[in-house]
Amino acid sequence: MSALAGFRFQLRELPHRPDHLLALVTAPLMTLVFLAITRHAGRADLAGHAVLAPALIALWQMALLVAGELVAAERENGSLEALVATPSSFAAVIIGRVAAVTLVSLLGFVEAWLAAWAVFGVVVTVAHPVVFAATVLVSALAMAGTAGLMSAVFVLTRSARTFQNSLSYPFYVLGGVIVPVSLLPDWLAAPSRAVFLSWSSDLLRDAVDASTVEGVLPRLGAIAGLGFLGLCAGLLALRRAVDRLRRTGTLGHA
Amino acid sequence: MREAGRALRVVRASAANAMADLRVVYTPVTWTFGWLGRIVMQVVFFALIGVLLDSPERLRFLFVGNAVMVTALEVMMCVASSSWERKAGTLPLLVAAPTRLLPVFVGRSVQWLPSGVATASVALFAVGPAFGVTWTPWRAVAAVGCLVVVAVSTYGFGLAVGAAVLGLPSLRNVSSNVANTVMMLICGVMVPVSFWPGWVGATARALPLTHGVAAVRGLAGDAAPGEVLRDCGLALGVGAAWFLVAGLLFERFAAAGRRTGSIDFAD
Amino acid sequence: MPDTDPAIRVERLHRTFGGGRRRRETVALDHIDLTIPAGEVHGLLGPNGAGKTTLCKILSTVLLPTGGTATVDGHDVVRETAAVRRSVGIVFGGERGLYTRLTARANLEFWAALYGLRGRGLSQRVDALLERFGLTDRAHERVEGFSRGMKQRLHLARGLVGDPRVVLLDEPTTGMDPVAAHDFRDLVRELRAEGRTVLLTTHDMAEAEAVCDRVSLVDGGRILATERPATLGTWISRYASVEARDVPPSTVDELRALPGVRAVHHVPPDRIRVETGAEDAAPAVLRLLVDAGVGDVSTALPSLADVYLHVIGDRGMRVNK
Repeated sequence: MSALAGFRFQLRELPHRPDHLLALVTAPLMTLVFLAITRHAGRADLAGHAVLAPALIALWQMALLVAGELVAAERENGSLEALVATPSSFAAVIIGRVAAVTLVSLLGFVEAWLAAWAVFGVVVTVAHPVVFAATVLVSALAMAGTAGLMSAVFVLTRSARTFQNSLSYPFYVLGGVIVPVSLLPDWLAAPSRAVFLSWSSDLLRDAVDASTVEGVLPRLGAIAGLGFLGLCAGLLALRRAVDRLRRTGTLGHA
Repeated sequence: MREAGRALRVVRASAANAMADLRVVYTPVTWTFGWLGRIVMQVVFFALIGVLLDSPERLRFLFVGNAVMVTALEVMMCVASSSWERKAGTLPLLVAAPTRLLPVFVGRSVQWLPSGVATASVALFAVGPAFGVTWTPWRAVAAVGCLVVVAVSTYGFGLAVGAAVLGLPSLRNVSSNVANTVMMLICGVMVPVSFWPGWVGATARALPLTHGVAAVRGLAGDAAPGEVLRDCGLALGVGAAWFLVAGLLFERFAAAGRRTGSIDFAD
Repeated sequence: MPDTDPAIRVERLHRTFGGGRRRRETVALDHIDLTIPAGEVHGLLGPNGAGKTTLCKILSTVLLPTGGTATVDGHDVVRETAAVRRSVGIVFGGERGLYTRLTARANLEFWAALYGLRGRGLSQRVDALLERFGLTDRAHERVEGFSRGMKQRLHLARGLVGDPRVVLLDEPTTGMDPVAAHDFRDLVRELRAEGRTVLLTTHDMAEAEAVCDRVSLVDGGRILATERPATLGTWISRYASVEARDVPPSTVDELRALPGVRAVHHVPPDRIRVETGAEDAAPAVLRLLVDAGVGDVSTALPSLADVYLHVIGDRGMRVNK
């Protein structure tokens, strides 16, 4: 129920919060950035990479922003303690709200596609639409679960906004949003496999590409599994925070 | 002359406010591990596209461009911090004070300049060599000077954006982010300005960052000192024009507020 | 000679808001006239939305009038803003308007610089203000840790940093505790003793009665009356009330029939209160009561609150948006 309420609340809220739609404002421009880089290098074959990257960034950025914003707003309001006291419903509200923005952030895919076509005349075709759609869907779910973990981090650290910043670009690298993690040095490639985004971006690029996609189900499973793990870890962390709240009367340290 | 001295004193007094904000936003630890880390990762993220392109040359180009970009990015935070005056409820008092608004706002967000120069310097000199960007000592020193030029000149542009959206606080993040992304796109950060059609290039040359990036690229390459100096001069000149625009927009904001009554005492 | 000029002169001052295609035009100030001589403490008394703040905004150059003229210290608020801004200090109530991350001293130093002070002059002025408002001991602490009362004192100090000849105090005691409000009255008296002109807006009658030389009752963008608090009291002495105990019912009926008696209320257990509405009604009521042999009689002049309620009517408690 609280998830549904959070979902509805967020959908109603979104049109009034230009800040929350920031990622959708910059997504077309970022598409042009990536396309300019690849085209200037004479690599028209990388158009798929260039168009998918801003959409994946929008997905991550909007979820991160809303999770951080929710925690910060409740903290300012003095109601964070009460909300966190029931970790399951707190997580449900987060998931509901993030699910709503995630749904909206999928517009990023459309925007990127349109920007590429309108400015550079590049039309990216999706060779495997079913795989593509399934990956987008499972990724959106994983994003909502991962947002549970993000919000737990924000609850436990007072300076949520500083952290909110730090959880962007490092994860765009680890999530392989433009450069596949297989091209990264080994020591980076290993941890990046723990980030659901790296599986999503690889699978989406494969779905765009004409050659056959291999191991679709296990890869979708990896995305879903990591999202679920994020949710569990977030719930566990929140439960510990509540225990500490009961013992010490305060949530989180600076 | 007396006017100038007075304006400078206002800038200094307002800068005390800016530095106090900086101390609250960051401790040395959160700056180093939170902010600096995030900034360096941004530079790395874009530079790595060079790996995708399988081109060490493109990688270096992207690395230098994005390292300079982060100075501008940080300075553009003045758009948000200018609107903090609104949050503090001090705007009516500032308008009612016998001083112009520009010096107040110039001091108000000055904290981002040293931070922006520092993060970009760490990226260029500490991380750069790992991406094939190397420096001789004197070129490195000169590059820091160029970053200062980038910070100061972009500050004029940022203040103009901040002044333009001072009356529309809900747009402050959107406007600064759009401005940043446009700068990334056209100012020679990701691709040479020559990649774009002429009118885009002309727009780019009206932004100080374009000239600042060119100056640092010159130093990272083997440009003659004269060329670098010329680019710095262009950046400063264009930046000065933006300061003027910012001053006019701040005055226009105050005038519009007096007309419409949008500057509230206590809301 | 500026001293012969009134400190504030307002003529046919008019201000409207809205009036675009979709919004209805609202009148915040309706052609008001007001002259305040130098050195006077003048109260603007009225409900929220009466137009008090609009007048303060216009006088402090934050708002332009739609029509009419206003001068401060002889300077026109539209054409000579720079001179007006040097002459005026503003304080508004509440906690906003301070830089909470700065120390009290740094706040004052900032505003002092904006008012053109420098060097020794600046630090002397700041020291004196900190001392005057009892903030010297906490001068080096960040304002975010201050109590509400301390923030209000800092607000007052800030308002005086430019050594203004005219001080605009817009609802300065909003949320002040009684002790602070008492100190505030002392401050206003000091400001008058220093020869400054004070325009004080308030909806607290006791405050206006205690510190003002003259009070203007404002409502609906108009000045209903400008009087000395005492004169104002006499002027509507007709609204005096008479209280008596153990009044026989027949006398109560006679009282009700007297010309000028507006109402007779029973005050349980055994008292009545007679409210009058004409100049000579109260003496007539007294005479009738004495003639009826009622011994326990008392009269009460209306407080400023009563005046305010009578003149403005029962709208006084409503906020006009």
